Amino acid sequence: MPAAQSRDLRLDFFRGIALIFIFVDHIPENIFSYFTIQAVQFYDAAEVFIFISGYTAALVYGRTLALQGPSYATARIISRAWQLYVAHIFLFVIFVAEVSYTVRTFNNPMYNDEMRVGDFLEEPHLAIVKALLLEFQPTFLDILPLYIILLVIFPIVLLGLQLQPMLVLVPSFLLYVLVQILGISVPAYPEGHVWYFNPLAWQFLFIAGAALGLGRLRETRWARFERAVLPAAAIVLGVGFLVKLSWTIHGVWDPFPGLFLRELWPVSKNNLSLTRLIPFFAMLAIVAAIVSPDVAFLRSPLTKPLVLCGQQSLEIFCLGILLSALGHFVISEYSASFVTQFFVNLFGIMGMCLTAKMIDWYKTIGRAVLNTNQAEFISGDRDGR
Amino acid sequence: MTFWPFRGILGKAVLLLAGGFAEAVLGPLPLALGGPTECSVPDELMQIDEKLPHLAERLHANEPVKIVVIGGASTTGLAAGSSDLAYPHRLQEILARWYPSVPIAVANRGVPRQTAQQMLERFPTDVIPEDPVLVIWETGTTDAVRGVGVDEFASTLQTGIDDLKARGIDIMLVDMQFSHSTVTVIDFERYLNALHRVGDVNDVNVFPRFGMMRYWSEQNVFNFDGVAKDERADLAAKVYDCIAKKLAETIRIALW
Repeated sequence: MPAAQSRDLRLDFFRGIALIFIFVDHIPENIFSYFTIQAVQFYDAAEVFIFISGYTAALVYGRTLALQGPSYATARIISRAWQLYVAHIFLFVIFVAEVSYTVRTFNNPMYNDEMRVGDFLEEPHLAIVKALLLEFQPTFLDILPLYIILLVIFPIVLLGLQLQPMLVLVPSFLLYVLVQILGISVPAYPEGHVWYFNPLAWQFLFIAGAALGLGRLRETRWARFERAVLPAAAIVLGVGFLVKLSWTIHGVWDPFPGLFLRELWPVSKNNLSLTRLIPFFAMLAIVAAIVSPDVAFLRSPLTKPLVLCGQQSLEIFCLGILLSALGHFVISEYSASFVTQFFVNLFGIMGMCLTAKMIDWYKTIGRAVLNTNQAEFISGDRDGR
Repeated sequence: MTFWPFRGILGKAVLLLAGGFAEAVLGPLPLALGGPTECSVPDELMQIDEKLPHLAERLHANEPVKIVVIGGASTTGLAAGSSDLAYPHRLQEILARWYPSVPIAVANRGVPRQTAQQMLERFPTDVIPEDPVLVIWETGTTDAVRGVGVDEFASTLQTGIDDLKARGIDIMLVDMQFSHSTVTVIDFERYLNALHRVGDVNDVNVFPRFGMMRYWSEQNVFNFDGVAKDERADLAAKVYDCIAKKLAETIRIALW
């Protein structure tokens, strides 16, 4: 993705953090997941990732739409969705390899029913077709299908937002509310199962991000609004922090009371419950108010690796999913000691940061080569612009 | 009520850190001071907070006791070769020894590969007509394997618990089995968390089978992953026996 002159590094930075958190949270029973956002807030890195993805999608493709028109913008969005689809299938194949290998080499009748693993080995012909149709979503392979669907509908969303933001936001919100009230979900495979990230609910977060990213809402009355909203947001965030922290402590140490646990739990992630969404928006308002786009730390060498991760989000996301599966394997096969966990997390995060740096280097050189060669292209290849 | 996975891993980290430190200072520690008897587990896995008042009342009055165990394949005990070797039957034998003056029957209502929802649907035919004073509900495996929605899983458990409580029946939940091989391909964590939290908010004991089996596996009491073909049934019988012993101890503690 070509870097614009005034790229908002906050997006890259926070998306980078979200990607690291997704990696850490996806290793089951990882001690370090106590230090990610989900330990102290009702929402987690998934919300951050989807929101920022919507926001940047609007920024990038909004510019394409303005410069090259709707056909080309649509083609670009669909080609991105295709990239994600291929990445998803790639991850799926790796998952299948791991599962098949483990199941074939392990045969203890005590676990026979457990090792069927979602009927996959009973009807692989069906499972593969369902995976291609995004209906079969093994654990942790559930966020990319959501992202793909959101991108596929995005050309229409973008055109609508460009025309009149409320034209898109209102129906999107109504659909979200409908899901909350009626509990509508999207069926998946095997029969009786649903999309882990219900796209009918999560679309609202992505579209809200896109609406803000397009900037047509932002400037108008926000400044006046801000004064009124910020104190409320701070209260929501603070209360959310205390309540969720009490749950986390209660989970570790039983005598400590989980505040409002009986009243609030379970908090639906599948349907993006309001208990998650409201504190997320509160956090958003506060971060947007406190962290300005040109704050110095975003350009410091210390945060650079995170910013790079956020910029190469697709590759780093996929890598993170692979590394967390690998990390889980190491921890469960080798040792679950603190030291092992520490190094699994450390190497994983370093792997993600170094890969991001490498991809950035590769793309930068690629662009430079493209620029020097452009003279040769210009005469033959241009079609009238 | 313990919210098992977090407590387990953190406690273990501390132990391992301390152990590693001691080992560095003192040299290798003698393996498990005193030598663990088969089936022993650390105290944190035997922390029982909730009572079983209806069962206690029956035993106290010397009235017949009916316990129903509803669950999956590991409840049927087929891996051991016979339902007499399954943990429900072994539990009945142990309880009969402890409370000889009371007629105690434990009914095994295990059916392989059922989700919590499918088990709940069996309540009216398999559980309620038995008129049990205690229901032991072993569940979560198939839900995790098939990837049933975690919220849905939790609300199914809630419905079942509400139903049994309304009928004045005591309840215990039993979580999944552990082995290294299964946990590398199945994400049990979300379901374990949900199961333990449902127990927590409802004041229902959750028997931490997963944590116990993991402990045995780590202490090399049992090796679930690399066992020879002709020893598999024997291993299953031993494990079910340990599970029954621990369940019986849990019940005894929860009575008074």
